[in-house]
Amino acid sequence: MADILLEGRNLTMLYPVRRGLFQGLIGMVRAVDNVSFSIERGKTLSLVGESGAGKTTTAKSVLLLERATSGSVYFEGKDIYQYNKDQLKREYRPRVQAVQQNPWSSMNPRMRVKDIVAEPLVVNAKQSKKENYDRVVELLDQVGLKAEHAEHFPHEFSGGQRQRIAVARALALNPSLVVLDEPVSALDVSIRAQIMNLLKDLQEAHNLSYLVIAHNLATVRYMSHGVAIMYLGQIVEYGDTEDLFENPLHPYTNALISASDLKLPEDRDQNEKEIILSGEMPSPLNPPTGCRFHTRCPEARPECSKIEPEMVTVGKHQVKCHKFV
Amino acid sequence: MSKIVLEVEGLRTSFFTRKGIVKAVDGVSFFVREKETLGIVGESGCGKTVTGMSIMRLLPEPGGKIVGGRITLNGTSLLELSKREMRNIRGCMVSMILQDPMTSLNPVYTIGDQIAESVRMHQNLADEKMITNEVVSSLRLLQIPSPETLLKNYPFQLSGGMRQRVVGAIAMCCKPSLLIADEPTTALDATIQAQYIALFKDIQAKTDVAIIFITHDFGVIADMCHRVAVMYAGKIVESASTSEIFKKPQHPYTRALINSVPRLDRKDDRLYSIEGQPPSLMHLPPGCRFCERCSDSLEICSKEEPPEKNIGNNHTVSCWRVQ
Repeated sequence: MADILLEGRNLTMLYPVRRGLFQGLIGMVRAVDNVSFSIERGKTLSLVGESGAGKTTTAKSVLLLERATSGSVYFEGKDIYQYNKDQLKREYRPRVQAVQQNPWSSMNPRMRVKDIVAEPLVVNAKQSKKENYDRVVELLDQVGLKAEHAEHFPHEFSGGQRQRIAVARALALNPSLVVLDEPVSALDVSIRAQIMNLLKDLQEAHNLSYLVIAHNLATVRYMSHGVAIMYLGQIVEYGDTEDLFENPLHPYTNALISASDLKLPEDRDQNEKEIILSGEMPSPLNPPTGCRFHTRCPEARPECSKIEPEMVTVGKHQVKCHKFV
Repeated sequence: MSKIVLEVEGLRTSFFTRKGIVKAVDGVSFFVREKETLGIVGESGCGKTVTGMSIMRLLPEPGGKIVGGRITLNGTSLLELSKREMRNIRGCMVSMILQDPMTSLNPVYTIGDQIAESVRMHQNLADEKMITNEVVSSLRLLQIPSPETLLKNYPFQLSGGMRQRVVGAIAMCCKPSLLIADEPTTALDATIQAQYIALFKDIQAKTDVAIIFITHDFGVIADMCHRVAVMYAGKIVESASTSEIFKKPQHPYTRALINSVPRLDRKDDRLYSIEGQPPSLMHLPPGCRFCERCSDSLEICSKEEPPEKNIGNNHTVSCWRVQ
C-alpha cells in the first residue's frame, strides 16, 4: 500500500467575472475543474501544462492560499478543509512550504539572508535568536551556501544562489511537502542542472514530497515520479512518469512531447513528423463543449465536440480521451 | 553557395561604467548567408544580446560603445554610417524581434498603425491604401487570420502568440535581408513556440531572409538553425553546423551545456552540472575564460587564451585540448 501524504479530491475552482458599471456577474471562469491527484511520501508529482491550464490555481488550493470552490484536500488522511484557523496554523501550514518561480521577487530586498531564512522559525518555532541562527547556518550548508552568506543581502547573489536561499527558507520548519512553482525556469541553463540535482538530493535526505509546477517536459521527466498533464482546468492524462513518457496516450501529451523534444530534423523518422497544433487554448470563460481539447486536436472525431470523455484507466495510467473509452 | 548577407569581424563592444570597463563582446566574428539561420547560444550575460544590439547599432548611450571590429551588411560597412543613414537601414535592411511582445508593442496604438509606421518610414508610398495593402500582406505572411479586422485591434486584445506574430509582421514588412530574433519564443508556451518556429521556417523559404536566432534553448536550435555559435563570456568558443555541434561537440563548455539539459527521450539519474558561475566581464581571467569551471583544464589554460582553430567543415573551436 502506497503511503499517500496528500490527496486532492475533485477540486474545482470558480472565479466570478464581473464587468460594466454595476459590476454585473457575466459568468464564471472554471480555472480548475474536478481535479483529483495524490502525492506519496518522499515522491514528486508534477503538474504540467501551458499558461492558463490551472496548474498554479491547483497549487494555491493545496497551499490554502485560496480555498477551492468545491472538493477537498486530504493531508495524511485528514480533510484539511475542515480544520479551523488555529489547527491549520499548528498542524498544516508549517508542514507545507513553497518555493516560487522568480528568486528576484520572492525575497524582501531589505532583509539579510539570515532574517529571510529565519522568518518561518520566528513565526512558528518559539526559540531563542541563537538557536534560530544556528538553524540558518545548518540550512545554508544543506543548500550549498556558506555561513558567511547569512549576513549578505539578496542583491549580492546570482539567480542560482538566490533560489538556493529560497529552498533553505522552505526547509526551515522541516516540512513534509514542498510546492515548487517552476523552480528552475527563471534560471540559466547551466545553473538549472545544479538546482535540480540539489532538490533531488534534499528529497532523498529528508524524505520530502514535492508538488512541482512546470511547463518543460524534460525537466519533469528528470524530477518527478508522477505526472499530471493539465489542459484548460482539467487533468487529461495522469500517471507514473516513466509509463507516461514511454507510452503517451492523449493527443495533447503527444503534441507537448513533440514540441519539447530535442531532436535534429535529420534524425526524425519519416513517419515521426513533428506535431504542430493549430490555434491556441480557448478562453476558460467559455470552454468548448465536449472534450475541451477537440478544437485543436489532430485526431478529433464527431463525438468529441458533443460528449465530454470520462477518465479511463489504460495500463498504468489514466487518460481522458474518447479514443480509449 | 548563396551569398553572404552579414559579416562580423572581430567585433568588440564595451560598456564604460563608473566601476570600470565591462567587455561584453570581446572579439566576435561570424557570418550569415542568404536563406540561412545562425543560432547564437549561451547563458545570460555572455554577450549574445549585445552582439545583436551592436549590429543594429542600438546600444544604450552613453556607456555602450563599439570599440573595434567591422560589421558588413550587403557590402555596406555599418560602423561607418552616420546616425541618419543607419536609421534608413534599420527596420528596412535589418530588423529585430525582441523577447517580450508586450513591451515591444505600444499599448496605445492599433496594430495597423504600428506596422504602418515602419512602412511609411521606409517605403515611399503616397497613397494610404497602398500602405494598408502592405500592412495586410505582411500580416498574411505571418499567417495571422483575418488581418483586415485585426488592424484595428490594440495589443492587449491579442494573445501572447498573436502579439509575437504582430512583432514579426513589423520586422518583416519592409522585406529585410537580415532578421535578428532575440529569444523570440522564450515567453511563449510550448505548443505556441512550435507553431512560431514552423512559421519562421516557412517565411524564410518564401523570402530568402537570413536569420540570427539568439537563444539559450538547445531545443529551438535543433529545430530551427543551420549553424550554431556558442558564446561564453563575450567570446565565441565554438561554431559549427547544427548537427556537428550536437554530435561532435569539441569545446568542454559546449559539451557541458548540452549534457546539462535534461532529455525527454531518456531517463537520467543525475544531470551533469557545470559548477560555479561565469567570470565577471569586468575582471576577466588572463587565460581561457572557461578554465575555472572546466573539468579537464591544462596548465596553459589559466595563462594563455586559446586561439581559434578550424578543424574542418567550418567547425571552429577555441580550446587548448583540441588539436
